[in-house]
Amino acid sequence: MFFHNFIYSLKVLLGNKTLIFWSFAFPIVLGFLFNLAFKDIEKNESFNTFDIAIIESPQFSDDVFYKEAYKSLSNGDDRIFNITMTNKDDAEKMLADKEITGYLEFLDSVSITVNQSGIYETILRFVVDEIESNKKMISTLVKDKLQTAKPNEVANIIEGIKDKVINGNATVIDKTRDNMSYTMIEYYTLIAMSALYGGVISMYIINLKLANMGSVGKRTAVAAIKKGTLIISSLLASYLVQLVEIALIFIFTVFVLHVDYGNEIGFVILTSLVGSLAGLALGVLVATLFKTNENAKIGILIAITMLGCFLSGMMGITMKYIVDTYAPFVNMINPASLITDAFYALYYYGVNNRFIQDILSLIIISALMIILSWRGLRRQKYDAV
Amino acid sequence: MKNVIEVKNLTKEYKGVKAVDNLTFTVKNGEILGLLGPNGSGKTTTINSILSILKYNQGSIKIMGEEMTPDNSKLKSQIGVVFQDVAVFDELNVIDNVDYFCGLYIKDKKIRKEYVLDALKLVGLENYKKYYPKQLSGGLLRRLNIACGIAHKPKIIFFDEPTVAVDPQSRNNILEGIQKLRESGATIIYTTHYMEEVEILCDRIIILDKGVILASGTSEELKELANIDEKITVEGIEVKTTLLDKIKANKNVDEVHMQMNALIVTYKKGKNNLVDLMDLLKQTKVKYASIYSEKPTLNDVFLSLTGKELRD
Repeated sequence: MFFHNFIYSLKVLLGNKTLIFWSFAFPIVLGFLFNLAFKDIEKNESFNTFDIAIIESPQFSDDVFYKEAYKSLSNGDDRIFNITMTNKDDAEKMLADKEITGYLEFLDSVSITVNQSGIYETILRFVVDEIESNKKMISTLVKDKLQTAKPNEVANIIEGIKDKVINGNATVIDKTRDNMSYTMIEYYTLIAMSALYGGVISMYIINLKLANMGSVGKRTAVAAIKKGTLIISSLLASYLVQLVEIALIFIFTVFVLHVDYGNEIGFVILTSLVGSLAGLALGVLVATLFKTNENAKIGILIAITMLGCFLSGMMGITMKYIVDTYAPFVNMINPASLITDAFYALYYYGVNNRFIQDILSLIIISALMIILSWRGLRRQKYDAV
Repeated sequence: MKNVIEVKNLTKEYKGVKAVDNLTFTVKNGEILGLLGPNGSGKTTTINSILSILKYNQGSIKIMGEEMTPDNSKLKSQIGVVFQDVAVFDELNVIDNVDYFCGLYIKDKKIRKEYVLDALKLVGLENYKKYYPKQLSGGLLRRLNIACGIAHKPKIIFFDEPTVAVDPQSRNNILEGIQKLRESGATIIYTTHYMEEVEILCDRIIILDKGVILASGTSEELKELANIDEKITVEGIEVKTTLLDKIKANKNVDEVHMQMNALIVTYKKGKNNLVDLMDLLKQTKVKYASIYSEKPTLNDVFLSLTGKELRD
């Protein structure tokens, strides 16, 4: 009966055109529109170096990493920006006169001041974020090495680390400028959105098994099949449909939109599997938690997904930056942000703590959503149907 | 005949209103029991409680001597349900719909195939196997709904208003199908607010109103409760007060009243009431378009028990 329900659940899901549109065709269409919009932006951006200022301070001038990084980013034909070293008053004036896009001030942390939101401001924030991430990674490495190393080896390690700083710095420039487009974040959120929209599929199939959601639910409720068998086989079918859809969306983004997901294909697949699981769990949660009709539930799920994608940078990565800065907890529990960040981390750093943390967070959030749905799923008798 | 279903003191309250109030009844093996009542009388609530989909406040429900619970797969496998709302998948064609629901009970593919074809034959959908629900008329859709509910050949079948909004041809097909199911040994619980259907189909009838059993028995037994023996309707008549007085003077007459432009006379008992009334009309030179006599219906029973029509 498990296999019987599984096969027919697949037939029902694949036969529902509205469902297929929202979970599959819509992300494809959106991806295509992204491509049209960003192609021109990136073309323009590649020929225009912009100007910034850095406030002179010991925190900057005494820091080898910062100095090397920003020097490399502002040198050569492929430079991103031109840097003017100045004091704060002059920088304010230059910003007011629109001579610079923004200025950086190095205190305990890096402060970015811009006049408006725009493409160059976004690039500036992106680059500063990148340099900060690399610096933190290197600092951790230094600390770890110092703790485990013998005293007479410390000097050699520091020299080695300095080399790595400069090499690491060069890598940042390479990825930022040539391979890694900042618009890639948008495509990553697109995959996150597709994974979470998969929730519409699990929600639909679960609604068909709930007696209080309609006549088909009532009929299956009185059938001589264990509810657990019914639910698990149905969810497995919905998960399979989700995975096929996301695989097709990947193929589309790779071969049509030329999105680069890096070399860690196995972990890209893992991220998709876990992301889709989060989508499935979200769908089950919405199906069981909200006592309303199916259309309203679809609306709720789409609203949650779109809000999550918006906060994770789908409509402009400035939003991701703002949320990460002012409300980091929001993106720590936002599945869309976690999926996006996992792809991002994977591309930049490979499998590191940040990626593992994203994946574990997604698994924990998915498990929590399933636990919260459990009562609704197990329920067999209702006050009203 | 032994009892297949035993319902004792069933009470279901929802938001302070008693949808079903202290209901006690039994269903005997092989019979068709009709639950007759207007909309909101508690018929569907009773069925959903028996099926263990609804929580109820008090009472006990036994099917084949066992307590009915949501986990009792053994009992569930003996039960078929045809819900009032059509319960099929829009994404599956006719044969797949029936096969899916049958497959929730029958594992063996060969047997299942045979059962599915039997069900389609019973409801007259053999020529619509590859049609999708949206391609079917309302009547055919209702028939598919029935096929999905009975394909696994259950011993007890609940029909909850299966003929609502269907064309006469489909209604006849459905009623014939239910007769055949009874002939094959199934016990049937049939709810409706169409009195003609229960009169044709049911061995026993329970009349419900506001969650309470008003009366139960065979159709004949119930009609005796109406306290009338005959009802004569005279259509297109010009009524004079003197005529009404003369009719009322007959000691067998229970009530005389006008409904639209028809005169309705009900009699408690007596023979040749129709001939006597026609003679009276002739003597008093009253003209009329038509006159006919009827035996009391279940609607008259309901009217005499509640003071309102069944269709109200």
